[in-house]
Amino acid sequence: MSRSSPPTFACWLLETVVPTPYREAILGDLIEEYTLRTESTSRFIASRWFWSQTCRSVPSMVWTSLRSRNCLISISIAMGVYIFMGTLKFAADWMISKLVAPDQATYVVLAPIVFLTTTAIGGCVAARIRRCATIFLALIVMITVAILIDIKVCSIPVPWWYQFGFLTLGPLAVIIPPTLFGRFKRPGSVT
Amino acid sequence: MKRGELLGSLEHIILLALVRLDGNAHGMIVRREIEERTGRNISIGAVYATLERLEAKGYVSSFTGEPTPERGGRAKRLFRVEAAGTRALQISDQTISRLTAGLKDRWRTI
Repeated sequence: MSRSSPPTFACWLLETVVPTPYREAILGDLIEEYTLRTESTSRFIASRWFWSQTCRSVPSMVWTSLRSRNCLISISIAMGVYIFMGTLKFAADWMISKLVAPDQATYVVLAPIVFLTTTAIGGCVAARIRRCATIFLALIVMITVAILIDIKVCSIPVPWWYQFGFLTLGPLAVIIPPTLFGRFKRPGSVT
Repeated sequence: MKRGELLGSLEHIILLALVRLDGNAHGMIVRREIEERTGRNISIGAVYATLERLEAKGYVSSFTGEPTPERGGRAKRLFRVEAAGTRALQISDQTISRLTAGLKDRWRTI
């Protein structure tokens, strides 16, 4: 049998949002069907089907989680990790200001590095405690950045794409590192 | 099932598919059965969310099967219709039959 693995990020998304009692069953069903489809059609078509099933399943699974109150625990964990991230960022900013004493231009370069590093650490911590918490943490980061942009907290004049970068890369920095380095075993590798 | 309480449309369809499959079936088989017979392309998430609701109502029961390599080492969750589920289907069908009685002639004119 040829080696066929379903899309990694789609699997991660399902592992994150599907409540525990049905996680194994849903992923197993999708992987089994994906393998059959790769044999009967092309890998591209099978991947497209897998992604379509994932995207259409996420809302109903999130709603099921909300009804079972699992989300409240995940939101609490995400809030806790967000406070931890904020403390970490504050400490990093303080150390940089003491050790490097950067001018405005240097700070514009250093700020995204510190921000993305702390959000990536936060994402890994959240994923280690509870997978679903990373999604809420990403949402919290996105909302916070949007508010900070709106109230113009940055006194240094920066281009729009610089702020847009924070808005998009921040949530991605929460989600991607746990997927890459991570906690979850690569699903559905059939040899 | 309480008097006057009807199954939702997806609940109805999924229960009927489970009855048709006659025994233990997992979510993807149910999804495929519905797609083949009705042409509705339901997501697997919607199927499992509905099955979970039906299980909470006591209309279906489930148990975990053996993990297989084709499923990436993951176990199946198999569902079967319980007596309460069959009764709920009968009540729903009777209600719909009573409501649609005598309407076929009108539909022909539409």
